[in-house]
Amino acid sequence: MTHPWPVAITGLGCICAAGTSLDACMAALYSGKRAPAPSSRFKSDHPTRFPVFEVTGFSEPPGLLRTSALGLHAAREAIADAGLDPETLRSLRVGVCVGTTVGSAMNNEQFCRDYRAGLDPDLAPIERILRSNPAAAIAREFGLTGPCQTVVNACASGTDAVGLAASWIRGGICDLVIAGGADELGRITYNGFISLMITDDSPCKPFDRERKGLNLGEGAAMLVLESERLRHGRSKEARSFLLGYGSACDAHHLTAPKPDGEGLRYAIAEALSCCDTPREAIAFVNAHGTGTPDNDRVESRVLADLLPGVPFLSTKGYTGHTLGAAGAIEAAFTVACLERGMVPANAGFATPDPELGGTPVAACERVAGSVALSESLAFGGNNSVILLGKRGSA
Amino acid sequence: MRMAVKGIGVTGGFGCGVADLAAALKSGESRRAGITVPSAQGPLQLPAFRAATDRLEEFAPRRTLRRIDHYSKMGLFGAYLALQDAGMLAADLSRVGVVIASGYGATATTFAFLDSIIADGDICASPTHFANSVHNSAAANISIMLGAKGPSLTVSQFDMSVPSALLSAHRWLAEGRVDAVLFGAIDELSDLIGYLWHRQRGARSSATMAPLSFDEESSVIGEGAAFLLLTPDDGGRGYCAIDAIETGSIYRGSLPLPADALFVLGADGRSEFGARYRAALPGGSRVACYAPLYGSMPAGAGFDLACAALILQAGAAFPSPGAAGCAPEGTATALETGRVCALRFADANEYAAITLSPL
Amino acid sequence: MNTKDKLKKILVEDLNLEELTPEEIDDDAPLFGEGLGLDSLDAVELVVLVQKHFGLEIKDMEEGRTAFQSVSALAAYIDGRLAAA
Repeated sequence: MTHPWPVAITGLGCICAAGTSLDACMAALYSGKRAPAPSSRFKSDHPTRFPVFEVTGFSEPPGLLRTSALGLHAAREAIADAGLDPETLRSLRVGVCVGTTVGSAMNNEQFCRDYRAGLDPDLAPIERILRSNPAAAIAREFGLTGPCQTVVNACASGTDAVGLAASWIRGGICDLVIAGGADELGRITYNGFISLMITDDSPCKPFDRERKGLNLGEGAAMLVLESERLRHGRSKEARSFLLGYGSACDAHHLTAPKPDGEGLRYAIAEALSCCDTPREAIAFVNAHGTGTPDNDRVESRVLADLLPGVPFLSTKGYTGHTLGAAGAIEAAFTVACLERGMVPANAGFATPDPELGGTPVAACERVAGSVALSESLAFGGNNSVILLGKRGSA
Repeated sequence: MRMAVKGIGVTGGFGCGVADLAAALKSGESRRAGITVPSAQGPLQLPAFRAATDRLEEFAPRRTLRRIDHYSKMGLFGAYLALQDAGMLAADLSRVGVVIASGYGATATTFAFLDSIIADGDICASPTHFANSVHNSAAANISIMLGAKGPSLTVSQFDMSVPSALLSAHRWLAEGRVDAVLFGAIDELSDLIGYLWHRQRGARSSATMAPLSFDEESSVIGEGAAFLLLTPDDGGRGYCAIDAIETGSIYRGSLPLPADALFVLGADGRSEFGARYRAALPGGSRVACYAPLYGSMPAGAGFDLACAALILQAGAAFPSPGAAGCAPEGTATALETGRVCALRFADANEYAAITLSPL
Repeated sequence: MNTKDKLKKILVEDLNLEELTPEEIDDDAPLFGEGLGLDSLDAVELVVLVQKHFGLEIKDMEEGRTAFQSVSALAAYIDGRLAAA
């Protein structure tokens, strides 16, 4: 038995370079401020120092991966925002669905160096990884009894985690799901993306003619998804509603998007079909917009085709590409923008590119309308889209 | 909505293909190769179950596989075998979803990427190793090679990866997002996995798997891929149905378990979980355990499901390998009631109970 | 070993072109698209291989594009930069 759409979102939490809470992040976005810079936490031998978007004013406890600590921070904010106390959480069937990339990598450079040098390395770094599964860390912290799922779908992980969580609610598996994503910056990921030659050595410029690539970022966001039965039972207002989720694979290439955007087209159509949302209802699109030549070209052309005239922007100019956290952070931003009736400027955009399907939002602007779309395009050709609706639109 | 298992594709210590698994279940025998891993004391020979992929070339020309690592090759092989078993090799897969569950991911390639940095410096980091170490590489390679355009999901939840991912696979089918799911569990042996086993368990392990001796450390590491082709139960033929998937953490009370089921246990010789199996099983339960055919690994849960499917197809349980001399609640022989429950315990309070029955 | 032969060996071994021997690679055959059929992921791997085996940095793919036309083109590019260093 599947309950109908929509699925309520009753709490939000967010931490990234733009701020350590959702409100702080939105203040930074609306002010247009951003401060990408070379990392203060790690070094690399590359002669060029690529700017990254680090979270400042946050340290992880020694026994936990930074990724999972960021996730916990956002989860605490979301749970408090939803007005849920610890005892209630323990008594309900609460699931956790979290996207990540670094949080699941069996990767520790010092361990590997020592091991390859013929030593018997201290197992502590590996044991920390084994203890730090992002979804399990949240479940353990709050004593939650429902299913745990760490989604490792590369850059679409956060969007997929939110969409899958909605599925669990509709399927009656849980009354509540803590859904989102978390990822930390580190040397290994940094070196990896540079080797792919898709990073920009200056602050990233999504959808700009001079764009050269992405900047990496870190952070986490969590959304509390809640069944109508529970929400009505405790008379809780939703902050937003999930109105749809679509996902499809290009089945084309490991790292490049399909030029005709086939998977993205399907995913958008599928998301709209969930509640039969007409295209005209969409107030704006939070695009994937990493700033790479390929992504921005393919994505903007699909948007121009399917949603002509709908304002679109990338918020990665304020956060960097936060990989597994991106889809969740952008979902949180999208809810906040709908609440405010305003979208920030697409940071990094200055010059239109005639090759693209259109130009993004260039300055803060009011948006009328109760529905917005957030999308993620990932390595491996995953395209995932969620539709979010304002309070009262469902 | 019940799911039906329409095809099985497996590669592991027992061989490759569902016929090899069925033969191993009947004989109780598998092939234990080994793995040599470096250590401070010199190369270590460790007992291990290996999975072969050379027959993958029956399905995909070798030149298309040149950049694909062993982890993805096992996945591709399992996927092709499952499709073949389901009679779907020539089918249009545009409405097929891909779900991969892996405990540790592509650890060999993860370390190969680190090695490229350690050997030649940051500026010589290998982009190919990096792209292949991304956790969803197997799902991506499968979707690209097979033209599967449905949604893709890769789950990394250590020992709960399979049950957790199965929940989402079920939801996709129930919501009509896809017509079928290629569901696969993959885990790979590597220097890291071997070395960790040696450090954490090697000295204590009897290295002859006897998982039903719950107090004994007898794990032997394994690798492989276990794929199931899942569809909604449409009344057609197949191995069995999956009726229910229960997974989460239990802090109070006892686990509600189906009465009269044959329990296929996820015990694999890791002694820290043994006590939980003993505590959870009601007196007089009929149990079976087949991990000695494929080894200890999170993806073992996928093999347990394949075994459960073969039991239901045969209408009788197979003897548990290595069970002689241990005293579980009751080893299984004939299947009297036709329900199987694949039970798995993992860290802290985690559990999973997957119930299967005849179609 | 001259640069062209070294490159052919690198292509076969490091890009895992198992079905070819270095001798079978034509000096002027296109590396990308047709010819050897390499793609964008091979291109960035080749950039790293040029760094590793010849110590030369290729800063962006525009620079790489002309050099990567064929084995001859790449050898000429490498020899030219090594001579200038």
